[in-house]
Amino acid sequence: MATSTTDTTLDPHEPPIATGDGELYGILAEYDTPGELIEAARKVRDAGYSEFDCFSPFPVHGIDEAMGIKRTILPLIVFGGGFTGLVGGVFLQWWMNAYNWPWNISGKPSWSIPANVPIAFEATILFSVFAAFFGMWILNKLPQVWHPFFRSDRFARVTDDAFVLGIESRDRRFDAVATRKLLQDAGAIAVEDVYLEGDPARKTMPKWIVAFIVASTAFTLIPFAIAAKARNSHSNQPHVHLFPDMDFQPKFKSDTAMDLFADGRANRGDVPGTVARGQLKGDDEFYRGLAGGDGGGWITGFPKQLEISDATMKRGQNRYNIYCSACHGYDGRGNGVVPQRVAASGGAWQARNLVEAGGPTVLMPNGQLYNTISNGYNTMMGYAAQIPHADRWAIVLYVRALQRSQNASREDIPPDQQGSIR
Amino acid sequence: MSALQKTLHPDEKIKAGKLGSSLSKIGVGIAVIFLGLSIILTLMGSPSGGHESKWARFFHAYVIGWSYIFSISVGMLWIVMLHHLVRGRWVTAVRRVCEAMAGAFPVIFIAGLGFVLPLVFGYKDLYYWAHPDAHNHELNHHLLHKLGWLSPNFFFVRYVIYGAAFSFLAWYFQKKSRQQDESGDPKISETLRIASAPAMILYSIVTCMAAFDILMSMAPKWYSTIYGVNFWGSACVGAFAALALILLGIQRTGRLTHSVNAEHFHDIGKWMFAFTFFWAYTAFSQFMLQWYGNMPEETHWYKYRMFGEWQWVSIAMIVGFWAFPFVFLLSRWTKRIMPSLVFFAVWQLVFHWLDLYWNVMPSYQWQVAFHDGARIVAGPLSGNTAFHHVAFSPVDVTVWLGLIGVFLIGLGRNLVGNLIPVKDPTLPLSLAHEVQ
Amino acid sequence: MSAATTEGHHEEAGKAREAFRTVTRDVSWVAEAPKPHKAWLAALGIALIMLGIGAVSIYVLVTTGIGVWGNSNTVGWAWDITNFVWWIGIGHAGTLISAVLYLTRQTWRVSINRAAEAMTIFAVMCALLFPLLHTGRPWFAWWMFPHPNDMGMWPQFRSPLMWDVFAVSTYATTSILFWYMGLVPDLATFRDRFAAKGDKLRAIIYGVLSLGWRGSARNWHRYERAYLILAGLATPLVFSVHSVVSFDFATSQLPGWHTTIFPPYFVAGAIFSGFAMVLTLMLPLRHLFNLKHIITESHIEAMCKIILATGMMVGLAYGTEFFIAWYSGNLFEKFAFINRAFGPFWWAYFAMIGCNVLIPQAFWLKSIRRSPVIIFILCIFVNIGMWFERFVIIATSLARSFLPSSWSYYTPTRWDVGLFVGTLGLFFTLFLLFFRYVPVIAMSEVKGAMPEAHAGGAHGPTPTVTAGGTK
Repeated sequence: MATSTTDTTLDPHEPPIATGDGELYGILAEYDTPGELIEAARKVRDAGYSEFDCFSPFPVHGIDEAMGIKRTILPLIVFGGGFTGLVGGVFLQWWMNAYNWPWNISGKPSWSIPANVPIAFEATILFSVFAAFFGMWILNKLPQVWHPFFRSDRFARVTDDAFVLGIESRDRRFDAVATRKLLQDAGAIAVEDVYLEGDPARKTMPKWIVAFIVASTAFTLIPFAIAAKARNSHSNQPHVHLFPDMDFQPKFKSDTAMDLFADGRANRGDVPGTVARGQLKGDDEFYRGLAGGDGGGWITGFPKQLEISDATMKRGQNRYNIYCSACHGYDGRGNGVVPQRVAASGGAWQARNLVEAGGPTVLMPNGQLYNTISNGYNTMMGYAAQIPHADRWAIVLYVRALQRSQNASREDIPPDQQGSIR
Repeated sequence: MSALQKTLHPDEKIKAGKLGSSLSKIGVGIAVIFLGLSIILTLMGSPSGGHESKWARFFHAYVIGWSYIFSISVGMLWIVMLHHLVRGRWVTAVRRVCEAMAGAFPVIFIAGLGFVLPLVFGYKDLYYWAHPDAHNHELNHHLLHKLGWLSPNFFFVRYVIYGAAFSFLAWYFQKKSRQQDESGDPKISETLRIASAPAMILYSIVTCMAAFDILMSMAPKWYSTIYGVNFWGSACVGAFAALALILLGIQRTGRLTHSVNAEHFHDIGKWMFAFTFFWAYTAFSQFMLQWYGNMPEETHWYKYRMFGEWQWVSIAMIVGFWAFPFVFLLSRWTKRIMPSLVFFAVWQLVFHWLDLYWNVMPSYQWQVAFHDGARIVAGPLSGNTAFHHVAFSPVDVTVWLGLIGVFLIGLGRNLVGNLIPVKDPTLPLSLAHEVQ
Repeated sequence: MSAATTEGHHEEAGKAREAFRTVTRDVSWVAEAPKPHKAWLAALGIALIMLGIGAVSIYVLVTTGIGVWGNSNTVGWAWDITNFVWWIGIGHAGTLISAVLYLTRQTWRVSINRAAEAMTIFAVMCALLFPLLHTGRPWFAWWMFPHPNDMGMWPQFRSPLMWDVFAVSTYATTSILFWYMGLVPDLATFRDRFAAKGDKLRAIIYGVLSLGWRGSARNWHRYERAYLILAGLATPLVFSVHSVVSFDFATSQLPGWHTTIFPPYFVAGAIFSGFAMVLTLMLPLRHLFNLKHIITESHIEAMCKIILATGMMVGLAYGTEFFIAWYSGNLFEKFAFINRAFGPFWWAYFAMIGCNVLIPQAFWLKSIRRSPVIIFILCIFVNIGMWFERFVIIATSLARSFLPSSWSYYTPTRWDVGLFVGTLGLFFTLFLLFFRYVPVIAMSEVKGAMPEAHAGGAHGPTPTVTAGGTK
């Protein structure tokens, strides 16, 4: 390849340089000092060239003016970036904290401008920085990993100590002889032609680089593909426990098997022959709704612990509305939200009508009603775990009142209010 | 960056000549006219803002106006010392003017006696801590412990210390610099560089304490540790703005026309811009932390600036002292084209005054209570902000302008001899200064 | 200038070029040396051991829980936040050197800015580990960034901790981009040098990283603008970052934390500790790798002066806080400060005052500013002092806050210490790797600041004042 080089090195110590064997790309000229480079650049510009550039290990002060480089528009790009960041930062905080999800934090207004300043500021800076950094890349056409001038060994010294001026052959004033002379007359210590690659096969990018780019692009897409799939599909499988997050704890839940004890159960019952404080529950009437003594049936009255009062009635109503009305309805007719939803979904199921005149519930003794609440009936589950004993009795009281009110006759209304009924 | 050098232009007029004395005369004229006008206006007026004395407004305005000229000298003294400390280059060409502005201190100090001496002689309608009712235990139980510190006599002693310290520093740096004009001894630069380090320490402490004493104690129950830094930031904005105007004024007389060029003004503009940002930074820090912490002993100060009539002044401050100049001074050209720089310098000088006004005047209106028929003054207003008024008075402006006249007297006294440190070894670099 | 150059001129130009080549060679040999320096290997070994300790501490922490630390209900923030603030602070010197000193035209910065910027990035990485681990479930850290999610929740932007997330991540991003941008021309130098040596692999790696940089004047023009703009952006950023860190404390109502001087005071302290760390790193490396003619004594002296100046600022802030604590008349505030100095943590307080205010006073003496060994020792003290400053602020205020019945004392556990040692290991490991594989000194900037950079042409005489100031 060395044969194709036209080397007009003035310094005899500089070796000739191989620069490809295709057509002429441009001419490089090396100068002694930054100052001479500036002078040469001025001459080249004055001669009317525009497709030329100077190359130096550091920014040479004064060369912009000599080459006629216009001030870059980069500051405007950065201003645009910063403005976008500012508006974006303010909008982000307003939309998220004041509009989409307003949330009271220490009594501060959800749209708290003083508290939003720091992030708006940081967003401004971040976007400005991106604009400056990538704006510089784009304006400089970087990254540009290959350039014909790289063929020259002399050019490689630009990043060390060389001051080089290069004119490209596509300049309309370019003339191999005249241009070379111009550069020499400007004081070049060496002038050198740079040729493009002649072999067309070598002009294309090597296959392994193409393969690498394709493979790495595909590889970076994998996480996005997984995320996209996850967002658009359903799975019945438990999620992957990449981190345990206390999902698995060294403990035994109740009513599970455990080898440690002889009975193989995780539950530990009371020690035989003992009763915990307050757990004796010896009063059958109150705790079980049974008449005391041997084999007595359901009680029909109320246990003595229950105070029949307006307050108890209110309490009973409150508890009934919480625990019972979902199925039996607020009026006790068995048409709560659960049966309604069953009906809405095309099924047919009715909860027991508690207030039906002559119905089983009306006829049921108080003790049995209490027992039903405690232990359940048919599909109804027992509520002993949720409702304390006294509250169960309050519910019984309220249900009795409900039954009466739902089957009331005119006589049941107090005489002074009968007039208001039409 | 160019490290090239230039020599003084042969046609350059560097002698002050009669500039100083005529400036002083102008200053005397301005001071007499406007301070006289202020006195007449005050005598014609009547007491306001819960004060018994009709002079209260005058003295409040006086504190603002005095702090204003004081702050400009404070800022200039800083740039002179910093220049020596870091072996600055570009400042050299304009340093003598900076020194002269800082050198106005003795005159400013004497002018300040105009509000300090009345305190010593028992004037009670300026600082609440000087009012006898400040000692009322029921009203002011958390003020009592510092009334020894904030007492007229001790205040006077500190005022003298601050004045002496600043005057000495300004005098010393100017004197040595002028000595170098005579002898050309490069060792003087070295001496000043070494001296500037301890001077900076003294300067920082005195600036902070002066701001605490003279401005922060206007609302004696309020406190903020950043207050001195915030005052200093505002002072430097005003100082660089004033420097630009004064240099342009000197150039109008045909002096320094070659030595000081757009490059120097560009750097002055940059510093003005930087301190605009710094002021905003400290002001925001102070506000945001007290607003966020929301402790009554701190937020009462901001309550009277965030609500009621004063909120409009606060908004004007944010827009006028920060946002508007900030956006425009970002650009290179607003600092290099003189009419634009003049516009922003004047603008920032006005807003620097408004900053001091905003710091002081909301404390003007005092709360007066009657207890068993006796009149008790409870200090700066507390309670409903709807009763809190800006109550702008022409005296506010006339006193300010009068004190600017006083500053010009102080400046004029120093504009003698060379207007440039002709034998400073860094002068050639400063003359060749180019902004990137 | 015509082609008829005189012999004398040519000789002078040759000398100038030789000077540029010397810079390239002296910086590059660290990376080009076929075998690493023995001291470098030893240091790397120690750093890796420390890093290992850190890895174990993190493993124990993550698998067990925050309870392995000495934190308690009373002192809920302790070593973790102390170390976070300490590391962030150290990072600040890098940005200060690369941005603020650039804007104020302090040319001496060029010899150390690259290393200082690298230090910034590594310090920020160390710093980020602490809040991340203190969350208890670091794998949910991404919840801190606003993203649409199933829970329909957004981050809470009124929280100073959220500001921290944004400030520190912006700072890390900016520092990396700034550093990388400065590196591009020097990576191009490495590319060309390794290509000339025939080391194809490294030539390709450095070639890709240098983006095909050619040193073109048109590129330099935009590059310099971008650099200036980045410096202009990094300056307010560096102020904002430590200010936001200080907001974490100062927005609360805790006595000793809630004070308005915190933002500038934290910034000054950050620069103070950062410069101390720069010197701690650069003094031995400069000695080992023969960089004394590039990182000169006057550069080191300038850094000592900055340490002295910022130390005084920090001292002034300590004084102001004490004065205002009395002046305010706020009893809690007053107690907090008396407790700080004379309470159970008095030893930490006086360690702080001693290391931060008293010890740097030695830098008034020129003889001390010129003796690397003493500077090295003093800088380590400054680093210790600045660590104690954060510890004093955090621990004393929390240990004795409003409710005396919950007062307690704080004692670290071995895992607190282990993690801290681990971050030191991480920091030194990264820094040593950087020193070996990346251009440690900004060659292009050093060359641009040399007097020879202005030689020749019609630009007047060679100036007498060189980078680093007159002697």
